[in-house]
Amino acid sequence: MLSDLMYRLRTLFRRRAVDGELDEELRDHLDREAEKYRHMGASDEDAMRRARLALGGAEQVRQQCREARGTRRLEDFIQDLRYGVRTLRKNPRLTAMIILSLAIGIGANTAIFSVTSTLLLKPLPYKDADRLAILWLRSPGIGIPQDWPSPGQYHDIKMQNKVFDDTAILFGRDYILTGLSRAMKVDGISTSSSLLPMLGVKPLLGRVFLPDEDKPGQAQTVLLTYALWKQSFAGDPNIVGRSITIDGKARTVVGVLPREFKLNHEVVPTVGGIDKPEIFLPLPMDAKDEQDYGPENFNILARLKPGVTMQQAQADIGAIAARLREEKHRDPSFTISVVPLIEQVVGNVRSAVLILLGAVALVLLIACTNVANLLLSRASARQKEIAMRTALGAGRRRVVMQLLTESVLLGVLGGAAGLAIAAGCLFAVQRMHPGNIPRLDELGMDFRVLAFTFAISIVTGIVFGLAPAIRASRIDLNATLKAGGRGLSCGGLNVRRDKLRGALVIAELAVSLTLLTGAGLLVRSFVRLANVPPGFNPDHVISMQVAAYGPKYNQNAQRIQFYQSLAQRVLSLPGVTSQGAISALPLTPSVGWGGMQIEGYVPPPNQPELQVDVRTATAGYFKTMEIPLTHGRLFSSSDTEKSQPVVIVDQKMADRFWPGGDAVGKRIRPDEKAAWLIIAGVVGVVKQYGLDTDTRMVVYYPRSQHPGGSMFLVARTTSEPSGLADAIVEQVRAIDPDVPVYDVATMQTRVHDSLARQRFAMTMLGAFAFLAMILAAVGVYGVMSFLVTQGTPDIAIRMALGAQRKSILSLVLQQGMALALIGVAMGLVGAFSLTRLMGSLLFGVSAKDPLTFSGVALLLTLVAVLACYFPARRAMRVDPMVALREE
Amino acid sequence: MGDERLELPQGTLDLLILKALALQSLHGWAISERLQQISREALQVQQGSLYPALHRLERRGWIKAHWATSENNRRAKYYDLTRQGRKQLEVEMLAWRKLAAAVGHVLDMA
Repeated sequence: MLSDLMYRLRTLFRRRAVDGELDEELRDHLDREAEKYRHMGASDEDAMRRARLALGGAEQVRQQCREARGTRRLEDFIQDLRYGVRTLRKNPRLTAMIILSLAIGIGANTAIFSVTSTLLLKPLPYKDADRLAILWLRSPGIGIPQDWPSPGQYHDIKMQNKVFDDTAILFGRDYILTGLSRAMKVDGISTSSSLLPMLGVKPLLGRVFLPDEDKPGQAQTVLLTYALWKQSFAGDPNIVGRSITIDGKARTVVGVLPREFKLNHEVVPTVGGIDKPEIFLPLPMDAKDEQDYGPENFNILARLKPGVTMQQAQADIGAIAARLREEKHRDPSFTISVVPLIEQVVGNVRSAVLILLGAVALVLLIACTNVANLLLSRASARQKEIAMRTALGAGRRRVVMQLLTESVLLGVLGGAAGLAIAAGCLFAVQRMHPGNIPRLDELGMDFRVLAFTFAISIVTGIVFGLAPAIRASRIDLNATLKAGGRGLSCGGLNVRRDKLRGALVIAELAVSLTLLTGAGLLVRSFVRLANVPPGFNPDHVISMQVAAYGPKYNQNAQRIQFYQSLAQRVLSLPGVTSQGAISALPLTPSVGWGGMQIEGYVPPPNQPELQVDVRTATAGYFKTMEIPLTHGRLFSSSDTEKSQPVVIVDQKMADRFWPGGDAVGKRIRPDEKAAWLIIAGVVGVVKQYGLDTDTRMVVYYPRSQHPGGSMFLVARTTSEPSGLADAIVEQVRAIDPDVPVYDVATMQTRVHDSLARQRFAMTMLGAFAFLAMILAAVGVYGVMSFLVTQGTPDIAIRMALGAQRKSILSLVLQQGMALALIGVAMGLVGAFSLTRLMGSLLFGVSAKDPLTFSGVALLLTLVAVLACYFPARRAMRVDPMVALREE
Repeated sequence: MGDERLELPQGTLDLLILKALALQSLHGWAISERLQQISREALQVQQGSLYPALHRLERRGWIKAHWATSENNRRAKYYDLTRQGRKQLEVEMLAWRKLAAAVGHVLDMA
C-alpha cells in the first residue's frame, strides 16, 4: 500500500523528530496521569510513581512503537550502519588496509568484466546481429585452415541454400582517391546491393545501393562513410550527386553512411587486408562471374532465417560444399563453414578473456580471504564487546547481522574505490592498445558493469564477513567476561591453535601460486616468442606503402620508371644506406599467393595444385632487410622483361623439393600456359604472418620482370629510421603528388606490434599474479603478526626461562614456513591442473614447464619467509620484563 | 488492583480506540481514560500498549495526528479518525457483533 510505504519512509527520514514527539507524548501522558492521582490525594512523588507503573517501562513502549511503525528492521540496520562507520573510523589503518585490498580485487574484476562484457556480451552493432554469419572455405587436410570463397560458390550458396533469408558478397581492397588537395589511399569494399540493408544500415544522407545497382552496366556510384565524408569532404552537406575520382575513374556519390556504422577488419577480414572501409562500391556480377570458381578472394555474409540455428545452417551449407567438392574435384577435407559473426570477431580472444576473468576472480578470492583474516583478528579483539552485547540481551542473529552489516559496508566502500581503480585500468588498457584485441574502442563502463560491481561488492562483503561473524557470535559469555580486558585466545605461540586462520592463509598462498604459475608461463612464452628470429633484421629499417595506380601508371614502363626514380632519390638521401621494394611486406596484412607447378613433381591424385606465397621484390629488398642468400644469386639489372624469366625461392621451398641443395637452375611455372621460370637463388625463410605462425613456401619474382602498382618501400638507415620517414614521403610527392604514401612504420615497430596480443595477455595476467602475491604476503604477515601479539606472554615466559632470542625467531619462522609450504604444495597441484587450460596462449613452453613451476614456488616461498620475518623479529625483541608486568 | 477486570482480547484494542475517536478527537491520555470510562472500568487497558496501537493505526491510515493546545494551555498530540478509519470502524464493529452473536449462539445451544 502506498500510504503505508509513505508513512514508513516519512518516519524513517524524520526518525529523530518522530522519536522526540513520542517522548513528548509519553511525558504528557505521565503528567496527566500523575495529576489524576494528585487530585485523588497522593503526594507528588507517589503520584508520579503510580503513573509510571500504570504506563509500564517507557523504553519498552518506545521499542514497541518503533515496531508498530514497521521500521524496526530498517532502523536496526541504520543503527548498525552508524555503529559500523564509527567502528571503522576508530581503526583507520585496518579499515584502509581492508578497503584497499577489496578495491584492488573488485577494481580488477570490474575492469576485466567490462572487457568481457564488451567483447562477449554486447551484441554487434547490426540488425539481428545474432543471426548474421560469415562463410569460409576450409581444407584442413591440405593445410588451408581458412580461405576466401569465390563468386561461383557465392552464386551456388545463394541459389541453393534453404537456411538464409539474405546473403551478400563483398571484396575489399585499397583504392586511390584523387582530385582533392593530395592523393590518398582509401579502404574500400565493393559489394552486392544486399549487404547494407542486410546489416540494417540506413543512410545518413542520400541512399544506399539500389537492388539492381550491382548488375553490370549501371552508373558508377559510391557511398562514403561518415569519417571520410567529415575528414576529406569537410562534411559537405551537398555531397550527394557530387562526382569524385577513384582509381582514376569518376564516380557519383549517392549517399553517406551513418557515423556509428563500421565494418572493420575484425568483423570481415577481406582478402585485401583493409582495416576500416571508407568507401562502398557496387560489385557488378554478370552471368559469367556467377560461374567463376577461380578467384577465391571474396567474403560471403549471410543472415539466417528466423528460427534457424547455426548448426542447421552449417548442415545445409555443408551439403552444398559436398556437392562442390565432387563437381570441382576439391580435396576430401574441403568444406564451407558457417561462422556466427560474433564468433568471427571474438573467437580467438575468447579463451584469453575467460582466463583473465578466472584469474581476477581468484585475485578477489584472495582479497576476500585476506579481509576475512583481518576481521578474524579484530573479532578476537572485540570478543569482550560482543560478550557484553550478548549479556545485555542481543540475540545471536542480531550480533551476526551487526557484524555482517559492517563487512557489507566495507565491501561497498571497497567497491566504490574499486570503480575508480577499474576506470584507471580501462584507461591503461586502451592506452596499451593491443592492436588485435577486437572491439576495444567500444570498451567502457555501462550499466551491466555497474550492476556487476555492486553485486560483487555485496557478495564479497558477505563472503568475507560470514565466517568471522558466525565465529564471533558463538562466544562463551562467562569465559570471555571473566578473562577481563585480555582477549581469550591467548593461546601461546602455536598457529595450529587457530585452524580457520591458518587454512585461509594456506588457501591464499595456493591460489596466488596458481596465478603466478600462469603468469610465469606467459612470460616464458613471450620471451620465447620475442626471441624467434623473424628472418630479417628489423633494426634501422623504415618501411611504407607507395601505390602508383591509375591511368598514369597503366604501362609497365611507367611503373618501372616511377620506382627507379624513387629508388635513386631515396638512396641519395643522407643516412640511407640501401633501399628495396616488395609487394607484400612481412607482418603487414598484405598477402599474395598462387598455384605453382614444379618440373618433375606430380601432386598426389585428389589434391589440388600446389599453393605457394608469391611476392615481387627487388634485389635491394633482400639486402636492406638482410635476408640471407643461401644459394645462387639475387636479382640483377640483367633480369629484364626481355631476358629469361627468373625467380628466387625461400629455403622452405628449396628444402621441400630439392633437399640436396641443388634448387638453383631448376624450373617452375604458375600453370601450364605460362613459360618456365628458372630458380636463380635461394633465400632464408621470413616470418610473414607473425612470429608465432609457420610460414608457407615463397616464390619471389623480380620486380623488373613483374612491375606491380603498389609496393612497400624499405630503406636501411644509419640513424633512427623514423626520422627519415618524412624525407622519403617528400621524395614521393616530388615525383608525383597523386601517388599516395601510407602505412609508414619502422620494421621494429611492426615486430613490436605483432606481439600486441601476447604482450597484453602477459601484462594483464602478470599484474594480477603480482597483486595476488602481494595480497597473500599481506595475509601471511597479518596472521603471523597477530600470532606474535597474542603469543607475547608466552614468548616472555620462554625468555624468562632462558630461551635464546634466536630460538624465538626460528620458532616463529617455523610456524610461518609450515603454512607457506603447505600452501605452495597445494598451489602446485592446483596450477598443474589449471594451466592446461592455457594451452592456446602458450608458445614454445609446455603447460607443465618444470622451470616455471619450481621458479614460482621458490619465489612465493621467499615472499612468505619475508612476510614472516618482520613479525618474527618483533617476537625476538620482546622484553620479557615489560611483557610479564603487563599480564 | 483490577484483578477481576477482563484482559482485552487480541485485536480489540484497535477497535476500541477507533470507537473512542469516533466521537471526538482526543490525545493519548484522554483515550486511555475514555476507554476505562466507557468500559466502566471492566476492561484492563494496559496504558503502555496504547501508544504502539496508535502508531499502528496511524501507519494504516485509519487515524491521523496533529499537535494542538489543550484545555490548560498544554501542547498535546491529538488523534482524529480519517474517512478510511470511520469505514474501518463500521466494518470491525459489524464483524465484532457477528462474532459475538455467533459465539453467544454456540454457548446458548449447550
